Amino acid sequence: MSKAGLAQFQQVFIEESLEGLDTMESSLLALDNGGDAELVHTIFRAAHSIKGGAATFGFPEMSSFTHEAESLLDEVRSGKRAIDGSIIELLLRTVDCLRGMFARAQAGEPLNDAVAEGLRNELAVAMGRGVPAGDVQARRAEDQADAWIVRFRPHQGMLAGGNDPLRLIRELAGLGELDVTPEFDRLPASLAALEPTECHLGWTIELKGPVKRADIVAVFDWVEGECDLAIEAKHVVAPVAPAAAAAPAAAAPAANVADAGAARAQREASAESSSVRVSIDKIDGLINLVGELVITQSMLDTFREGDIDASRLAMLEHGLAQLARHTRELQESVMGIRMLPIASVFNRFPRMVRDISQKLGKQVKLELIGEQTELDKTVLEKIGDPMVHLVRNAIDHGLETPDKRRAAGKQDTGTLTLQASHRGGSIVVEVSDDGAGLNRDAIVAKAIQRGIIASGEGMSDEAVADLIFQPGFSTASVTTDLSGRGVGMDVVRRNVADLGGAVTIRSTQGKGSVFTITLPLTLAIIDGLTAAVGDERYIVPLVSIVESVQLKGEAVRSVAGGGELFRFRNDYLPVIRLHDMFGCENAVHAIDEGLMVVVEGEGTRVGLFVDGLIGQQQAVVKSLEANYRRVQGVSGATILADGSVALIVDIAGLVRMQGRRKAA
Amino acid sequence: MGSKSVQSKGGGQARVIALPADFRLAGLADVKASLLEALDAPAVQLDGTAVERVDTAALQLLLTFRRGAAANGKTPTWSGVSDVMRDAAGVLGLVKALELPATMPA
Repeated sequence: MSKAGLAQFQQVFIEESLEGLDTMESSLLALDNGGDAELVHTIFRAAHSIKGGAATFGFPEMSSFTHEAESLLDEVRSGKRAIDGSIIELLLRTVDCLRGMFARAQAGEPLNDAVAEGLRNELAVAMGRGVPAGDVQARRAEDQADAWIVRFRPHQGMLAGGNDPLRLIRELAGLGELDVTPEFDRLPASLAALEPTECHLGWTIELKGPVKRADIVAVFDWVEGECDLAIEAKHVVAPVAPAAAAAPAAAAPAANVADAGAARAQREASAESSSVRVSIDKIDGLINLVGELVITQSMLDTFREGDIDASRLAMLEHGLAQLARHTRELQESVMGIRMLPIASVFNRFPRMVRDISQKLGKQVKLELIGEQTELDKTVLEKIGDPMVHLVRNAIDHGLETPDKRRAAGKQDTGTLTLQASHRGGSIVVEVSDDGAGLNRDAIVAKAIQRGIIASGEGMSDEAVADLIFQPGFSTASVTTDLSGRGVGMDVVRRNVADLGGAVTIRSTQGKGSVFTITLPLTLAIIDGLTAAVGDERYIVPLVSIVESVQLKGEAVRSVAGGGELFRFRNDYLPVIRLHDMFGCENAVHAIDEGLMVVVEGEGTRVGLFVDGLIGQQQAVVKSLEANYRRVQGVSGATILADGSVALIVDIAGLVRMQGRRKAA
Repeated sequence: MGSKSVQSKGGGQARVIALPADFRLAGLADVKASLLEALDAPAVQLDGTAVERVDTAALQLLLTFRRGAAANGKTPTWSGVSDVMRDAAGVLGLVKALELPATMPA
């Protein structure tokens, strides 16, 4: 096959293997929680596919590495070895290591690294295979040698399975010079006793040349389990002292935990918005709808010629109604293609919760609810990080250690719940824990110390809870490496706000906290109010609108420095004149002739002064950046019913622009 | 594939076994039957000139046949061997055990 052709399949192989690794990981975690034996088979199958694929697509290092894990799994599967915590731990790290290998494969870097080498060694040691540890070290050391002795004894059924030693040895001959010695000891004494389809031969092959063990293993990859194979180096190139080889193995666990996140992040970064997998059902549904649309169109086409007499008017109306319905359904279905279950985000948490809780000495039970809730792929890709932050916070700051929980009269094991659901046109994701809850006094004290507020008196619990979203706020007395890396809840709020969503918190001291992230179902369509400014139309996203008021001229005061303020409830809010900001002509300038729309962006309220509001509508967002260029204060554009273009106002951007103007 | 008799050097009847062009696993039952019969013949000559495809199973069959014949004090001879067969035997290290002729007889 050509190189380009293989590369194309390589990508598919990598994607599938990463899914396989996810399956392995979740199955291992389930097994850790007392899952059944079927899980072992699932894990084994995943490992086996990766091994086979890796050999086929030219990753012999990965293939031989996975082979070690597979051998271990095989022993578990066949009941030769009981699965225990240490094996699960080892296999989980193998999964991480393979993820790293795939990331390196995609980046075109060498696959093996110190972690992989150490882990391969550990797997071999765990396997034992009756080989003393020292020998295993020696085996590892001779990954490359000048000459090899390969003992190859096919099982009887190998020929019938379609694998011919002739082909294998020929392939081996491609690696270097061979000296093949056949073994006849299993050959039947008489011809009559020979079943021609069974293999009774064996070979001892000496292979001369600088060859890697992995390359030899790769040759025999497909006959794994159909033969006995022993590969020994005849001349070791660089013998390594056992002590030196053992060191990376010991260092591996710690390094690996950190690696897991990095590898994942790298993988997700590269996977982002590259492609989306769509189920056949969804595509069939689309094709069906398009078919209906074509039928309706041809039906309406009959009205094109000649006059429409009154008798056919009903039919025309019917056709138009059908067209409208099909268009709407088609829109929904096309949107549906971008919708993926949130499970892909949720699935990373069991592992993370396990690692973090072990590190902190806490007992945490993770409950996932509503994993099948679907949301837009773009939202899905971006919701991961804020959720990771919330989950880390919940375990680190929220949930208590077992003895503290006991003292508070709770069960030793804390519960962390991730729940996703549809609510109206939004997705609601809740991260809740039954931990200590927010400590009002500590938060108020901290906020005063940081100069965020002057005093906590008269503040509602909600207002106090809201303080943790302020930039620069962190109450963790000890900064751990888990949370409190200077990335605070304000970043979580900003990330969610970037997606057009909001984060709120509900907390009861001693009972726990609930963080609620509300997100739009899709970023492709927004609900907005159409505002007129001069000759132009702007869309103001509905989520950011607090209310709109008509003010008297004297309600707006000019302040020193050029800004304008108006009184809204008990606050003074700055005024942003949209015509001024965007330079619109023929706009209303007098305050009492226009309308003040109070909007909220990034936690700040401002008054948006427009000529008037025309009405509410759903706007299909077209990227301004892709079609023109990035414009400050504008998040996109849409096309109105009359065909004209309206810009969608980016409230957060406007607030930032206003801030800079004031500073200037 | 067929077998016929020719006058051997020793004067007795030598059975000639012509190996098929596709000398592989699927067709070995027939070859085995002919070879079993040939074991009773005073002398056997193998003809591998027509062999175009061969596999390990086929060579294993020949090997077992030769060893069985040797146990009866007989040594089957070769009337010829194709390059394909010689190459396969070479890869599997069986040239000596099969006592393949060094070169094609003219």
